[in-house]
Amino acid sequence: MARSARLEEAMKEDVLRLDDVSKSYGGTTVLEGVSLRVGTGERLVALGPSGCGKTTILRLVAGFVAPDSGRILVNGRAVSENGRVLAPPERRGLGMVFQDLALWPHMTVSGNIEFGLKARGTPRSERAKRAADALALVDMSGYGARKPSELSGGQRQRVALARALVLEPALLLMDEPLSSLDSDLKRRLTDEILSLHGKLGFAMVYVTHDRDEAARLASRVVVMERGRVEFDGTPDNAFSGR
Amino acid sequence: MFSIAAVSAVFAVGCGGEKGDGADAASKGKAQATVVVYVSEDQVFSEPILKDFERDTGIRVKAVYDTEETKSTGAMNRLIAEKGNPQADVYWANEPIRAEVLKRKGVSEPYFSPNAKGIPAGFKDSEGCWTGFSARARVFVVAAGAKEKPSGLSAYTDPKWKGRAAIANPLFGTTTSEIAALFAVWGDAKAKKFMAGMKANGVKVTSDNGESADAVASGKVDFSLVDSDDAINRIRRGEKLDLVYPDQGVGGLGTFIVPNAVVLIKGCPHPEAARKLMDYLLSKETERKLALADCAQIPLHSGVEGPPELKPMDGIKAMRVDYAEVADKMVETQPFLKSWLGL
Amino acid sequence: MGRRVFFLSVLAVLTAVCALPVLSMLYRSVHIDGRFTLSAYSGVLDSGRQWRLMWNSVSLAGSVALATVLAGVPLGVLFGKTEMPFRRLLSAAFVVPLLVPPYVLAVSWADLLGCGGDGALDGFSGCALVHFSVFLPVPMILTMVFLRTVDTRLEEAARLVSGWRGALFGVTLPLILPGILLSGILVFLLSFGEIGVPNYFRYDVFPLESFIQFSAFYNFEAATAAAAPSLAVAVALLGLERVFLRDKTRAPRILYGEGGFTRIHLGRRGGVIAAVCALLAVAVVAAPLSALVAEAGGGPAYAEALERAGGSLLRSFVYASIGGACVAVLGFLVGYIIHAKAVPGWRMADTLTIFAFALPSSVVGIGLISLWNHPWSNLVYATPAIVILGYLAKYAALGSRITLARLRGLPASMEEAARISGAGWFRSMAMIVVPLSARALLAGWLVGYIFSLRDTGITMLVYPPGHETLPVRIFTLMANGSRELISAMCVIMTAAALLPLGVGLALWRVPRVWRRR
Repeated sequence: MARSARLEEAMKEDVLRLDDVSKSYGGTTVLEGVSLRVGTGERLVALGPSGCGKTTILRLVAGFVAPDSGRILVNGRAVSENGRVLAPPERRGLGMVFQDLALWPHMTVSGNIEFGLKARGTPRSERAKRAADALALVDMSGYGARKPSELSGGQRQRVALARALVLEPALLLMDEPLSSLDSDLKRRLTDEILSLHGKLGFAMVYVTHDRDEAARLASRVVVMERGRVEFDGTPDNAFSGR
Repeated sequence: MFSIAAVSAVFAVGCGGEKGDGADAASKGKAQATVVVYVSEDQVFSEPILKDFERDTGIRVKAVYDTEETKSTGAMNRLIAEKGNPQADVYWANEPIRAEVLKRKGVSEPYFSPNAKGIPAGFKDSEGCWTGFSARARVFVVAAGAKEKPSGLSAYTDPKWKGRAAIANPLFGTTTSEIAALFAVWGDAKAKKFMAGMKANGVKVTSDNGESADAVASGKVDFSLVDSDDAINRIRRGEKLDLVYPDQGVGGLGTFIVPNAVVLIKGCPHPEAARKLMDYLLSKETERKLALADCAQIPLHSGVEGPPELKPMDGIKAMRVDYAEVADKMVETQPFLKSWLGL
Repeated sequence: MGRRVFFLSVLAVLTAVCALPVLSMLYRSVHIDGRFTLSAYSGVLDSGRQWRLMWNSVSLAGSVALATVLAGVPLGVLFGKTEMPFRRLLSAAFVVPLLVPPYVLAVSWADLLGCGGDGALDGFSGCALVHFSVFLPVPMILTMVFLRTVDTRLEEAARLVSGWRGALFGVTLPLILPGILLSGILVFLLSFGEIGVPNYFRYDVFPLESFIQFSAFYNFEAATAAAAPSLAVAVALLGLERVFLRDKTRAPRILYGEGGFTRIHLGRRGGVIAAVCALLAVAVVAAPLSALVAEAGGGPAYAEALERAGGSLLRSFVYASIGGACVAVLGFLVGYIIHAKAVPGWRMADTLTIFAFALPSSVVGIGLISLWNHPWSNLVYATPAIVILGYLAKYAALGSRITLARLRGLPASMEEAARISGAGWFRSMAMIVVPLSARALLAGWLVGYIFSLRDTGITMLVYPPGHETLPVRIFTLMANGSRELISAMCVIMTAAALLPLGVGLALWRVPRVWRRR
C-alpha cells in the first residue's frame, strides 16, 4: 500500500498531543499532569507496571472517557478537554487493538474487518477489496469466512490488527495486545508489527509492561509510574542505566 | 421505538374490531348500537340474560364481570376509578348496598324504568338511583332431616349449638350487608353484643358462602347463614341439605332479603341503549329466567313464576330495612368487624 | 447527542409507564380533599396486631424464597447444565404451576391433603406449600438463564484441579450469584403480595389490609397507604442485594460463550437423578394437577370450557406475546441505561421498576386508570393497549434485570471496538450489542410472556369490556361456576400456554454462535 495523500498531510503536525492531562476515578488519581507528543510515524511505547495509568491514557485518547483537566489533540484538533469529550471515538480517525482483542464472535473475519468500512459508507465492492488487502497484509488471506472462535491466538491478533489498519488510521493504539501469547509468538508478531509500520507509516502508541517488547518496538519510550511520566526519551536511554 | 409500535399495533387491532362492526352494520343501513355493562352478579347466571338481550334487541353487549370479593378487586373499584370518564353504561349489582355506595360517590344517575312500577317500594331507591329485582334470601342451610333446626339468628349465641355453626367472612359480600342491617335495625349495642356472643359460642368463619354451605354438607357444622342460591345450587346437585327462613315467627326480625340492583351510570357513553338494557333486566321475563336458573332468585314482581324450592316473596317475612341506612352502617361497622375477626 | 436524547426518551417512556401510576397513587394517598395530610397512613402499622401481620407476611415470603432458591437452583443446574435425560420435559413440568391461578392450586392441595383442624394443611403450612409449588420455577428459570453467562473456559481451569464439583461450587455458582439473589428477591415479592392463597387458608397477611380497603371501603387513598410498607420491604431487599453484590460485579475481561457451553456429563447417575426429579415433579406438580384433571372429568367439561372461554384464549396469547415482547424490549433499553449509567437518574430507573413490581396489582391498576382514563387518551384506555401498558408497568423489572445480567457479562471492549471503528452509538447497538444479547432478549420475552399470561390483578381492572383474558374469565366464572368447569379451564390454559413456551425453548438453541468445536 502506498502512502496516501492523507498521511502525507498528517506528517506535517503532531499526530497526538496531551497537554497536562489529569484523571481520577473515585478518590484515586490515575493520571497527573501528563504531557506527551507523538509525531508522524513515531512508535511510542508506554511502559510501566499495572495501575500506573498507561491504559487510561489510551482510553482518554480513544475518547471513551474524558480527562478531568487538560487537553487532548489529534492531528491538531482538540478532541477532549477539561471534562468534555468534543469528538466522539467514531470521529477521531484512530485505530485500536484491545487487550482482549474484542473480535466480534457473531461475525466472520471478513465481517469484522469490513465493519468499519461499512460504517463509513464504503461501497460493497471496495469494501471486499480492501478487506482482502488487509488480510493479505497480515498474512491471513483465505481466512475471511472463518469465525474468530475458530482461530488460534496469534491468528486472532493478526485479524485484530487488520481490522484496525484497514481504516488507514493516522494513529494506532495498542493496549497490551500480546500479553496472552507465548514468547516465540510475541517475537514473531512484534516483527510483523514493525514490518507493517514500515510499509504503512502510521504513528503508534503501544502500552505494555514488558521491557523486551518495548525495546523491540519503540522509537520512543515513556516510562510511567503512579500516574506520572517518569521518563520520556529514546529506548537506548531508557534501558541503558537499568 | 418497538414498544410504541407494538402498543399501536395492539390498539389498532382492538379498534379494528370495532370499526369492522360499524362497517358491517352500515352496510345493513343501520348503525349497530352497543351497551357496556359491568356485572357483579355471577357470570354463569348473568351472561345468558345478556346474550338473550343481544339476540332480542340486536344491541351488542360488552360486559365486564366481577370476581368474588375475596379473590380480587373488581368492578366496583373500576366504576369508582373511572368516574371522571365513564366507560360503563349500566351496573348490574348483586346487592343494593353497592348501588347505594355508587349513589353516594356520585357515580349513578336516576332512572325510573316503566318496568320498575311492579317492584315494591322497599326494594328500590326513592330517588331512582337504583332499582331492585330478582332477590336472594339469607337463609340457614342445614342437613336434610336434621332433628333440630335453628329458627332464628339467636341460634348463633345459643350454647346448644356451640362450635357447630359457621358464617362467611363478615367483611365481604352479603354477610357484611346482613351484619350492617342488624346494626341498623337493632342498634349498635345489641348488635355488638350479638357478635360477641357469636364469637364466644365458637362460630367457624369461612371464606365465603359457598364454603359455608360445603361445611354443612360435609357435616363439619350443623348450620350456617348463606344466600338462598348457594343452598339451592347444592340441593339441586344432590347434596342432602335443607333450608330454613330465619326469624319468621310473630314479632320476629324477618329474613334479610338481598335483591339484585340495576344502576344507570352518570355520563355514560350510550344512554339510549343503557335504558333499554335496564328495562330488559327489570322485566318480568328476566325475573322468571333468573328464578328458573340455578341461581334460583325470587322475583319481586308479583305473579311471576318463582323457583320451586323457595317461597314466593310475599310468603316470606322480610327484614324491614332501609338499604341506604344499611350502606351507612356498613362503613361504620368495618373497624368493629376487623377487630372482631382479630385483624 | 442523539444517544443522550434516545436514553432520555426511554426514561420518559419508563416514567410514563411504570413510575407515574405508582407515583400518582402515592401522591393521592397524601393529598386528600385538596390538602396534604398523612391521615390515610394513620392506621398503618400502628398496632401490635399489624406488626404481627407484617411478621406473618415476611416470614412466609422469606421461607418461600429460601425454599424455592434451595430447590430451584439445583434444578436449574440439572436442567440447564447437564445432559440429564428428559430435562426439557421436566423443566416444562415444573413451570406449569406458575400458570395456574394460585387459588385454584390451593383448593386442589386442600382436597388432596385435607385442610383445617383435622387436615394436614392449615394457615402457614398451606400457604407455604402452595406458594412453593407456584414460584419454584422462578429461581429455576433464572438459574438456567444465568448459567449461560458463564464462560466454559473459566470452569475448565477449576475442572482440571477438582472436577465438576469444584468448578460448580468454586466458579459457576459464585458467578451466577447475582442471578440467584435476584430470583430470591422476585419470589419474596411475589409471595409477599399474593393474597388469594392466604385468604383461603385463613392465614392473616399484611397486604390483606390494603385489599380490604379496596374491596370493602373502596378507599383508594387508604389502600395505597396500606400498601406502602411493601415499598419499604422492596427497598430493604434492594439494599441487601447491593450489600451482597458490592464486590462481585467487576467488568469481565473475556467474552462469555466464546469458549462454548459445556454440559456436565452425568453418566449412569443421570437416570437416577432424573428419577428423583421426576418424583419431585410428581409430588409438587402432578399431584395437585391430577386432582385438577380428575375434577374436570370428561369431555363435556372441556367442551363447555372451550365454549365459555370463547375468544379469551386467543386474546390471552396475543396480549401475553405482545406484553412479553414489550417487556423484553423496554427492559433491554432500561437495563442498558442502568448498566452504562448512561444518564442521570439511572439508579431511579431500577428502583422504580422494582417498586412497580412490588406494589399490589390493585394499586398499580387504579393508578393506570386515573392516569389514562381521559377522553383524549381513549385511544389507549378503551383498547387492549392499556392491558399491555399494565403488563409493562408491572413486569418491566424482569426484562431490565435479565438484560443487566447479560450486559454485565459483556466486555465493554465489544462496543468500544465498534465505536473506534467509526460506528456511531446506534449502529454499535444494533450490530454488536443486540446480536450478542439475543438470548437475553429471548429470555426476557419468555419470562414476560409467562407473567403476562397468568396476570389477573392488573388485567381485571383495566381490560376493555369484551376483551377479557382467560385467567380473568377463570376468576369470574369461579363464582358459582361448577368445579368441573373451572378445573377444565385451568387444564386448557396450562396445556395451551405450554405450546408457545415450547416454541420459545426451541428457539433458545438457535444462537449457536459460540458452539464449541
